[in-house]
This record gives sequence, C-alpha cells and structure tokens, in this order.
Amino acid sequence: MAIDQIEVPQAPPAVKVRKFFRPPQQRRPWGPIALFLCPALFFYFAFIIYPVLVTFFNSFHILRQDLGLTYQFVGLQHFKEILAEDEVFWKAAGNSLTWAIVAPIVDMPLALALALVLHAKVPLARFFRTVWFTPLLMSYPVVGVIWLWVYNYDWGMANLVLRAIGLGSYAEAWLANPATALPALILVTTWMFTGFHMVILLTALHTIPQEYLEAATVDGANRWQRTFRIVIPLLRPTLVNLIILDFIGKMKQFALVWVMTRGGPMRGTETVATYVIKRAFEWKTLDLGYPSAIAVIWFIIIFGLSFALMRFLQRREALEF
Amino acid sequence: MLRTRLTKGMLMLPILVYTAFSAGPYLWTAIMSLRTTDEIYRSHYGLPIPAHWVKFYVAWTEFGYDVYFRNSAIVAVAAVILITIVGALAGFGFARRRYAFPLRQPLFLLIFLSVMFPPQIMILSLFQILIKLRLFNTLPGLILVYVATEMPITIYLLRAFFAQIPQELEDAARIDGCTDWTMFWRVMFPIALPAVATTFILDFIYFWNEFLYAVVFITQQEIRTLPLAIQFLVSDQYQDIGMLATGLMIATLPILVMYLFLSEWFVKGMTAGAVKG
Repeated sequence: MAIDQIEVPQAPPAVKVRKFFRPPQQRRPWGPIALFLCPALFFYFAFIIYPVLVTFFNSFHILRQDLGLTYQFVGLQHFKEILAEDEVFWKAAGNSLTWAIVAPIVDMPLALALALVLHAKVPLARFFRTVWFTPLLMSYPVVGVIWLWVYNYDWGMANLVLRAIGLGSYAEAWLANPATALPALILVTTWMFTGFHMVILLTALHTIPQEYLEAATVDGANRWQRTFRIVIPLLRPTLVNLIILDFIGKMKQFALVWVMTRGGPMRGTETVATYVIKRAFEWKTLDLGYPSAIAVIWFIIIFGLSFALMRFLQRREALEF
Repeated sequence: MLRTRLTKGMLMLPILVYTAFSAGPYLWTAIMSLRTTDEIYRSHYGLPIPAHWVKFYVAWTEFGYDVYFRNSAIVAVAAVILITIVGALAGFGFARRRYAFPLRQPLFLLIFLSVMFPPQIMILSLFQILIKLRLFNTLPGLILVYVATEMPITIYLLRAFFAQIPQELEDAARIDGCTDWTMFWRVMFPIALPAVATTFILDFIYFWNEFLYAVVFITQQEIRTLPLAIQFLVSDQYQDIGMLATGLMIATLPILVMYLFLSEWFVKGMTAGAVKG
C-alpha cells in the first residue's frame, strides 16, 4: 500500500502509431529479458532454491562436520527420531507455537486500540507514532541487551515499576524462572512490533470513507457501534494480513532468544530455530543431517499452518497474492 | 466542548502510558551511555551529570567498535547497492508486457512464495556451500547471502511499481529511439526512484541489523558486524554496563538519526513489505 501511494507520473498524450510501431508478431526480446532477469535469478537459484533442495537432500543423510562433510545415507531415520523420540524438539516446537499464537493475540488488540486512539485526532499524534515505531529499527541483539537490563531482578525497570506501584511482591527474576521466561520474551517482541502494526492499521483507518461513518451517525449509531460494526470489519483484511505475518515471524524466532536466554532456563525458551543451530554447531554430534531434517519438518509445518490460518481467517476474502 | 476535551484527556492517558513503555527502555540506555559503570552501580536511574561524552571515543578506539562499525557499514552498503541494482532490473523485467515469456508468471510466484521461507531451511546448506566456495567467514560471502535473502521482497515491491507505469510512456519513449537499456536506465528507473527509495531503506535496515546469518557465517572477531559484536560483548563484559550502553548507542544511532529526519520514508519503507506479504 505504501508503495501504491507514490505518484506515478502520467504518460504524455497517447501516440497512435503503437500498432504500426510494435507489430503483434514481434519476436521476444530474449537479450533484454536475460539482461534484466538473469542477475536476480542467479542469486535466487544459487542462494535460495539450491540450498533449500540441498537441505531436503541432507535431511536423509548423516553429514559429519569432523569427517569433511561426507554423506552417509540413512533414509527417514532422522524424521522418525525427531517425531518419535526427540523431546527437545517437541518442547521447542511447543514454545515456538506458543509464541506464534500468543504474540498476535496480544499485539493486534493493543495495536488496534492505539491506532483508534491516535485516529481520534489527539494532539501530537505524529510524534507518538514516530516514537512507537522506533523499536522496530533496532537489531535483536540491541533490543536483547536493553531488555536483559529491564528484567534485571535488583535494578531492572520491570521490577522498579512493580515496586513503585506497590506490587513489589510480584517482583521476579523474569528470565531465570522457567514459568516467566517465555512470556517475558514475548512481551519484548510486542514492544518491538506493536508500533509497526499500529502504523499499518492507522494507514488503513485513513482509507475508510468518511461517508460510511457519517451515514451510520445519521442512522443513530453511537461511537462504539461505529467502531465495532463498521471500522473494525473494514479493517479486517489488513488485520488478517498482519496476523499471518506476525505468526510466521514468530515461528522463525531466533535472535532474541539467542541473545537473552540461549533457550534456557531448562529449555523454557528454546525455539525450533535455536535448536536447529545448536544441534548443528554446538552439539558433539557434529551432524548437519539431523538439524536439516528438523528444518524440513518445521518448513512444512510453517507452510501448512500459514495456509490453514489464511483459509480460516480470510474465508470470503480472496487470497491476496 | 467540555465533553470532547474530557474524552481527549482520557485518551491521552493510555497514550502516555504506552509512550513511556515504548520509549523508556531506550532512553534509559541512552542516559546510561553517558555515565560510567561506577556511577551506574551507585544509582541506576541517575542523570548523566556530568555527561561522559568521551565514552564514545573510548568505545570507538579501545573496544573495537570502529572495526565492527566499519564491517557493518561495508556489508550494508555493498549489499544494498547490489540488491537495488539487481532488484530493480528484475522488477522491471517481471513487470513490463514487452518482456513476457511463457514461464514468467510461475517463476514470479515461486519467488514471491519464498518470502515465507524460514531461514533455517537454507542456512545449514548455505554454510556448506560457502565453505566450498571459500566464502565462509568472509564479508563478501555474507553480502551474497544477504542480497539473495532480501531479493524476493525487493523484486515483489519494485515489480508492483514498474507495473503501474503507463504503457503509453514506454511506447512514446521507444518511438523516440529508446533501446531496452536506455528505456530502463533513462526513463523507468528515474520514475521509480521513490519506490526504489523505500526498498533501499527496508533493505538497508535489514542488512544493518541482521543477526542469524552473521552468527553462523562469521566466526572471526575482526570481521564481526555490530549485532554480532554486541552479542559477544554481552557475555564478555556483562559487568561493564556503562560501556555496553555506549556500544548500543553506536550501533543504533546511525539509523535512528536518519529516522529522525526521514521518518515518513522510513515508516513507508519498513511497512512496504507488510501490507500484502
């Protein structure tokens, strides 16, 4: 949408010699086609499609890094082991899935509420929007370090606020407790992304024709009815897109965990992404095949669930490709 | 009148609370970046009086931030230039009717679909491939991977823009003797500059902040990028909060200062990929 708003200069007055100039049987300009597309296709096939295929291939093998990455075929053995025996995988999958489900449930209502409030023409709206959007511009390690401090038991902001409002007994070593570590990390991604979701919802709010709301007012609808019966249903396609995007993003979550908890305590924040990297480069198995199989399984799950979610949420709306 | 003022006042409360939540942690870090670790341990929420600006110089010269900053700058600038050229060429080639061929549409859909790929599905074999190409543990290797991973979204966005440019404009330019190359470079690319600017910003911020590929493909200290360096500094000098805070400012200020002046463009760039993705 943002890009659609950029104005395209209009063409000069139409010239009528088009047919004469470009006969229908003209041969395909293969030279220019190659010039324009080949560089991108090189990158795409060499560094995306080929690696994806190699990962699928690797997932049927044992690939030892200490033995010069020689291949040993094992068939479906990795897959059986992951699905049947690997408790760490299931724990990590549960955490990733929790993150992917909880984050949109927390993020979207918050972002929507903030967007509606800003849309009500409060003073300094632009300033607030600019501030709320800022966390998205920082890297995960930066955010991770800042929030390690926020969650510090003795002097972190989180406990400082709790103690200030008289809830000091709820002060907690947030990242050291397996029960609170994952929710604490989810709150960090909320902090990062709510402003971003808010901005997109705000843009969508601006596109709602004023006449709809005026008509509703004439019909006697009050502010709440206008919001819940007209505005929110009209925002639905945008909300659906954002939910799916948020879901996919959280299913891939790696960096924040890596910097803040390394998957601990007691695998309470282990995600599939961190487990794949650990399995590949930190475990003594030194095998690239097994983590590749995890990646393949997770790839299929992400695609499957994303499409299921799209169908479930969009129902009547067409897929927006 | 009074009633509207009252509602407005009530609306301000959640706004201010959220603003404190949103800006608080970073402002706190910014303040700490000007205080020494001793001062911080005496009082974690004191004001930076006196402000130790020299810490930025110290971080830059003695803690290696000059090197990390340079590495990040090399990677981000090189990758963003490369992806802008390659992405604009492909966006143009995929958009215009003149360059249609039978498999073009399925090919574009495949590229678009890969926006959803989780990095894990590529990263282990990319590791293997980079080793084979002797590009493991090098900045050029990282740059190539970065360009490839941001390629789908860049092509998608630029194609959408190039597709909107009226056919008449192309025809008129062709009558004036434009070849395919001058058509792209002299006519279409200048028109597309606003769209190119949004993908430029989106890609640059992604490259500046990227962490996962860097952590797997870079193991040598001298070529660490800023996000990678921060992750290591956190474990090495967790006690030295003051210096770490200064480092965080060095890592974020280039983007945030630009954001201050070009916030509309940044918002446009960062949200461009989200609306249809």
